[in-house]
Amino acid sequence: MQASRARLFKEYKEVQREKAVDPDIQLVCDDSNIFKWTALIKGPSETPYEGGVFQLAFAVPEQYPLQPPQVRFLTKIFHPNVHFKTGEICLDILKNAWSPAWTLQSVCRAIIALMAHPEPDSPLNCDSGNLLRSGDVRGFQSMARMYTRLAAMPKKG
Amino acid sequence: MEDEVIQEPPSVSSEESSCCPICLGPMVQDSYLDKCFHKFCYNCILRWGKVLADKHHSPSSITCPLCKTENFAIIYGFDGIHFQRHSINQDFGDSFILSKDHRFRLQCYYTEQGILDDIFNISQYWKACKYCQPNRWLQSWLRREIQALIQEEDVDIIVHHILGSVNASFTSREHKSHSNAHGKKQEEFRISVSEAARPFLAARAERFVYELQLFLASGLNIEAFDAVYRQRLGWSSAGANTQALRSECIDRTTIIPYLYVFDEDSDGIE
Repeated sequence: MQASRARLFKEYKEVQREKAVDPDIQLVCDDSNIFKWTALIKGPSETPYEGGVFQLAFAVPEQYPLQPPQVRFLTKIFHPNVHFKTGEICLDILKNAWSPAWTLQSVCRAIIALMAHPEPDSPLNCDSGNLLRSGDVRGFQSMARMYTRLAAMPKKG
Repeated sequence: MEDEVIQEPPSVSSEESSCCPICLGPMVQDSYLDKCFHKFCYNCILRWGKVLADKHHSPSSITCPLCKTENFAIIYGFDGIHFQRHSINQDFGDSFILSKDHRFRLQCYYTEQGILDDIFNISQYWKACKYCQPNRWLQSWLRREIQALIQEEDVDIIVHHILGSVNASFTSREHKSHSNAHGKKQEEFRISVSEAARPFLAARAERFVYELQLFLASGLNIEAFDAVYRQRLGWSSAGANTQALRSECIDRTTIIPYLYVFDEDSDGIE
């Protein structure tokens, strides 16, 4: 418990320093609970998520960093490895391949990388996975772009 | 997921290289993994190893948090010349070290020597040549004792070595003709066994030989010996139970009279 607190505090300080360095990620710690974080990440360019801003919720376990944080999308996203309803993310480093050398910041980077490189063979969103697996890249992209526009971009007008 | 962009482990930039990648704090007790030589706090990497062991039930290796290399030991306490080495399978896994009995035996070495002398009479053991009767619990007792003292699981070779020197001094007949044969015998035993044990147990070798004699003199099996020991130290939790055990044990130590007679004859004294 003490170890996780100390480590999260270190990350907090690091995040304050790094803010300018990585403009694609904005990590914010909950005002009252250092185990609750949210992040705003920019959809990577040249993907259907470009132009969108996606919100992630982090729940950090007491055994952190020996155990991975639980991360999910709060913003709706159409992506093979993200559950469409719950926002749950299928990403190895958040499960078996977790290493305590990862930080919340680097997890965000990994999620951005996952957005750019979907893994249709281990889908949480079957519709999305099937579109890609059947080779309908255009179909996938237009669906993903539509949801980005609907959910991840400021409403116009 | 095989995506290499995702797979790449987060790198530690040069400015942070003095920080432990696990706690992100300053390195406390520098430790290195034995294959990839990545550096961590001793406690941090030990705790990570414990997590891996709990997860995989095959606690023979530790995956480096930075490069995922499989490692088999933690190198620590490096002072320029010497270093210590913690093999993984000894400390994690079935939490071997944390065995209550091992810890108890280790604690015994921090107590004052001699508080059981009135219960187990070591000099009587030598006088009566009780060592002529083989102790069938000796090997198991040695194994546990050495495991506890050096905190390693695989101690077969050391046990074999020490057992060899114990048996050698039991069977040597040099001092049979002397008047104080048993005293010499005991001294010879003390010297040769502590010499055999010292490379492994260092400063604890002497005390180890004392504890060994105490165990031999008790004539008890390991459980009973522990029970009596614990009770004397006031560490026993189930008092009534060990009380019963103890009286039963004491009885048993006095039950082998034929040996006394036999050996006192051959000694030609008393």
